Amino acid sequence: MSELARVLEDRRGEVLVAALDGEVDASNAAEVGERLRRALGNASTALVLDLSPTSYLDSAGISLVFRLAEELGARQQRLVVVVPPGAPIARTLQITGLGGAVAIHPDVDAAVAGVA
Amino acid sequence: MAVRPLPVPPADGQVLGALQRITDASLAYLPHDRLLEELIARVCEILAADTAALLLLDESRPLLRARAARGIEEEVERGVVVPLGAGFAGRVAAERRTIAIEDLDQAELVNPLLRERGIRSLLGVPLLVEGRLLGVMHVGSLTPRRFTPAERDLLQLVADRAALAIEHAALVEQQRLAEALQRHLLPQDLHAVPGLEVATRYLPASRDRVGGDWYDAFEVTPGEIVVAVGDVVGHGLAAAAVMAQLRTALRAYAVEGHPEAEVVERVNRLMCELGPDATTTLVYTVIEPQAQRLRVVNAGHPPPLIVDPDGRAELLPVQGGIPLGASPLAFYRSDVHPFPTGSTVLLYTDGLVETRTEPLDHGLERLRATAPGAGGIETMCTRIVRRLAGEDRADDVALIAARVPPLANPLTTRWPTDSHVLADVRQMLRRWLRERGVGEADAYDIVVACGEACANAIEHAYRPGRHSFEVHAVEQDGRVRVEVRDRGRWREARGVNRGRGLPMMRALMHSVVVEDAEDGTRVVLERDLSRPAPVGPG
Repeated sequence: MSELARVLEDRRGEVLVAALDGEVDASNAAEVGERLRRALGNASTALVLDLSPTSYLDSAGISLVFRLAEELGARQQRLVVVVPPGAPIARTLQITGLGGAVAIHPDVDAAVAGVA
Repeated sequence: MAVRPLPVPPADGQVLGALQRITDASLAYLPHDRLLEELIARVCEILAADTAALLLLDESRPLLRARAARGIEEEVERGVVVPLGAGFAGRVAAERRTIAIEDLDQAELVNPLLRERGIRSLLGVPLLVEGRLLGVMHVGSLTPRRFTPAERDLLQLVADRAALAIEHAALVEQQRLAEALQRHLLPQDLHAVPGLEVATRYLPASRDRVGGDWYDAFEVTPGEIVVAVGDVVGHGLAAAAVMAQLRTALRAYAVEGHPEAEVVERVNRLMCELGPDATTTLVYTVIEPQAQRLRVVNAGHPPPLIVDPDGRAELLPVQGGIPLGASPLAFYRSDVHPFPTGSTVLLYTDGLVETRTEPLDHGLERLRATAPGAGGIETMCTRIVRRLAGEDRADDVALIAARVPPLANPLTTRWPTDSHVLADVRQMLRRWLRERGVGEADAYDIVVACGEACANAIEHAYRPGRHSFEVHAVEQDGRVRVEVRDRGRWREARGVNRGRGLPMMRALMHSVVVEDAEDGTRVVLERDLSRPAPVGPG
């Protein structure tokens, strides 16, 4: 993957916390998705996708989150998203109605508590 | 022993004539090897000898190598090598004196060729310049011959002049090589860095020697441009060779993505391994046009000068480390300085500010006072060189000025249809919006909307193959208008999780118009900066 975005993994028991650091667009959304799926594996019960360090997320990135929500739902795994209030990407997520598909938390601890 | 009648000792007129033949000015224009051959031919004639040979000392080992010969041409063809001290030529070299052998049958020879060719008598003299041994010259006779004291003196006289000519030719040859190497090392086309204006000057201190001054400018990523200047201690071929390694190492470590202080530390460790000849001062800067800052690492080099868009000139305080190649344990720090769009950074070598008669501070102050002024960076460089780089300069001077010009308004850009350019388009648009004074929140929305239009142009608008699309942006009376044009047909992405691009654009901009025509698609996005941002999915 180009250094446009990095995936930083942190395991909390059976919950995977993956932070997306950088920018996600049509050029790297597919690779980011593959990275997340590999990290998640079958053992994790839930994925907390931390978008706090995400400085740019376009429709390709947002579509990726929708798709992950569907895939994980089909496998009895849960997906929640962390977006700090007032973050630039919060508005684009609001526009696309992501909140209707996945739970959005203001910080990682709240998100982990929500899926534990 | 049959000895032929002694030749008449050369009269003074003959000596003069002989010397003139050896110091003939036209010899100076011959390439090194041709010069050696011509010298040996003339020596043969002057001494009426049957054979003559010239052997030069190897640069690194105590060996003599045959380089030119007359009557015994095989010496050179066979690559005859004589150890110092052994045989005839080896003895002449080791003892640094004239040696004559009247009868070869009695002598110990290393080189069988001399006997094979029927040489009976030999006279050899060392080639010396200021006491340094360059090699040996000898003449031979196929009939027994006793060389007279006058002939021995004449050959030594001729050899002294020949040695000077040979050394001069070798220096010229080395100089020519070093110049070619340096010319090759100083980048010719620095205008290839997009969005950067570059002007350079290189002024050698004298025609006789090439220095170790060097500059470079290259793009690491679309948001980072490196501009650097270095000064290798010493001159000539060795300094040019160090420069070559420095340049390659810097580019390689920079492209690997190391932070600038680490790039310099890695180059330092490499220079330490190359030995004491590799000591180099360096100033390495990274321009970030979008962030409008300049990161600087200094390794014992004079301070960079920044001229801001209002013409204020400032020498950056030196927080530098020691020169490269001095200690493998040296560490370097990176300092960040503001670099507003339209600023110029000037890097130079100390020859520009150091004179034989003045303290360094005076030169630096003169540079600071001279740099600002009318015209672009080419004019700036010309002004600086005229004022500071006088004819009596003691050292070489290299300077490089780099400026990031403001982006135009209206702005027109063209991009290849490759999704990897999306980040570059955003980078450029963010900078353009910042230069127009557009606030962060407005800028983010505009960048996202434009990104969606560009992604669509890349993903859907084309048949296979390389094509391009255009991004036009204009800001006027508090209104930003961005237009994305391509030569394909508009298609909204299909599928449940696709097709979010157009709704996002509509939600982020006050006006979105998609004009789909036979010859291509135009997406026109407008945002009124005085109105509140549009909200919700609309």
